[in-house]
Amino acid sequence: MIAALKNRLARMDRIAILAVPALVYMIAIFAIPVAGLLLRSFSGPDGFTLAGYVSFLGDAFNWRVIGNTLRVAAITTLICLAIGYPTAVALSRARGFVQVALLVAIILPLSVGVVVKAFAWQIVLRRDGIVANILVGLGVWDTPQLLLFTETGLVVGAANLFLPFMILPIYSVLKLVDPNIQDAAATLGASPVYRFFKVALPLAMPGIVSGSSIVFSLAVSMYVIPSLLIGDRFQTLATLVGRSFLLMRNEQLGAVTASVLLALALAIVAFSSWAVRRKGDSR
Amino acid sequence: MTIRHLPKLSRRSVLAGAAALSAGSLASPSVIRAQTRELVVGAASSQRSWSEEIMIPAFEKKYNVKVVFEGTRSLVNLEKMQKNKDKQYLSVVQMDDPVMILAVREGLLEPITAAKVPNSASLKPGVTHMDGMWVNYLQPWVGIAYNTTRMAAPTSWAEIYDPKYKGRVILPSLQNTEGVMNLFLASFLKTGKPMAEAQKDMDAAFAKLKEMKANILMAYTQEGQAYNLLEQGEAFMVAGAISTLALARKAKGAPIELAAPKEGTFSMPSGIALVKGAPLPELGAAYVDMLLSPEIQAKVTEATFALPTNRTVPAPAGLSSLTVHPVDWANVSENRAAWVARWDRELSL
Repeated sequence: MIAALKNRLARMDRIAILAVPALVYMIAIFAIPVAGLLLRSFSGPDGFTLAGYVSFLGDAFNWRVIGNTLRVAAITTLICLAIGYPTAVALSRARGFVQVALLVAIILPLSVGVVVKAFAWQIVLRRDGIVANILVGLGVWDTPQLLLFTETGLVVGAANLFLPFMILPIYSVLKLVDPNIQDAAATLGASPVYRFFKVALPLAMPGIVSGSSIVFSLAVSMYVIPSLLIGDRFQTLATLVGRSFLLMRNEQLGAVTASVLLALALAIVAFSSWAVRRKGDSR
Repeated sequence: MTIRHLPKLSRRSVLAGAAALSAGSLASPSVIRAQTRELVVGAASSQRSWSEEIMIPAFEKKYNVKVVFEGTRSLVNLEKMQKNKDKQYLSVVQMDDPVMILAVREGLLEPITAAKVPNSASLKPGVTHMDGMWVNYLQPWVGIAYNTTRMAAPTSWAEIYDPKYKGRVILPSLQNTEGVMNLFLASFLKTGKPMAEAQKDMDAAFAKLKEMKANILMAYTQEGQAYNLLEQGEAFMVAGAISTLALARKAKGAPIELAAPKEGTFSMPSGIALVKGAPLPELGAAYVDMLLSPEIQAKVTEATFALPTNRTVPAPAGLSSLTVHPVDWANVSENRAAWVARWDRELSL
């Protein structure tokens, strides 16, 4: 019994060695600096203090910034999911040339820089741009409305940039699912709606969870995209962190803001994964 | 860096030095006979092109000296002076006015006097600071850049408040130096106080700026994006635009123009100072003097679209009556962070 356990541990150890390079790298460039940041957020002139957090959370403006950050990240994630899920299904069913073309179309835009895309959106979303022209042409709008430098513009642009990070994880799960399962459910009398909610969606859930986590984490911490698509008048936690360090030279405020951002992002990602898993287990 | 302190004695420099000594000793002032022939100027990299094309060649030719141009940023120059306090290697520094205040506080600068720098006597009022500790060699002025295909020239800073420009005005972020000038102008428009007093009344400034919230398309931190939107016609005005940037875009054919409003304007920081305890003090003073001279001022202002600070140099066409109000930079340095925090709270979307 003990010998068997020892044996298993020994085998795990050898495999765990494969993770050592990544572990060392991440500890050096990520874990240690983050620990330093957390320490900094608790240190005042007389040592340990919660004053930074008390004053940050006691300011109504900062709650508005937290609201901005979470709202934009959540809506961006939902848009990516709504567009990304059907795309991933199509990708997993496609074969041959069509599949290659779809994959290239999803992955290639990642090589175009964020700044270039932001400038492209600036042209598209202008009041004499193509979106405004179409909406006026269809009679949705009487006159062109402002889209650029609004929350709508930001969310649309961010969803465009992060879409591949939703599609690819869902696709990688779906391609392992036997397509005959759906047909089997149908022959057993399941309606399309029942099939979607009780068969397709649960099977895709691991991909949806990881895709949503990635997109949410990217969106909650994005810095360049809001500064180009909405500008200085809409602060998020990430832009506030940048401003505290770079302009105001207030390191504690920056460290506190960054820690709040980190805690919120971790909490939401962890909670949503846990909630989804629990639901899966209870069935 | 230490090697800079030593004169380089190549065969060519010895020959050149000897030639200069024999040729120049008859007719030229004493500075020419200085033995070390390398003058180090600490400046900003954005000043490199006109310095290397206009100022430095003229200076090197006249004084037979090699000018080493170290183009970095104002705060880096300050750091260099702090670190070499006992043995300075920079002779002249070109830095932003707020950084000059810090350098004066640390006792790093030598006053510019009319005895050392004769052209400093011809400077316009308001460009000599703290009893000559530094002077402004140029005035890149701030105006309203507008798209000429979308509107007629604005004549007043009040124009950006007109409701007909809903979503058509771009302002600089307060993170940018030119951004703070909108606060002063807003306060001036609201209270009618003299510009020097208006700079202190921030309650009035924010109250006025809030009136134009609907007009603000965005507040830029990257000027490239602002000019892009202006030239495409999505924005009609960028208020305050810096002459050096806006008129350079216009010269390249962009459909924009820079208006000089009747209330007057402010200029961007552009200070020059002598370093205390510097090597080659006479040559350093001669460098400042030449940059303030009418001939060089005329050429540099033409290349940079800035206003001259030597009052004997005529202002560019149409700008002779433009008033440039002094900015209280000490006030700006002290309160900038509080103003930014207030902007975020009161002018956000």
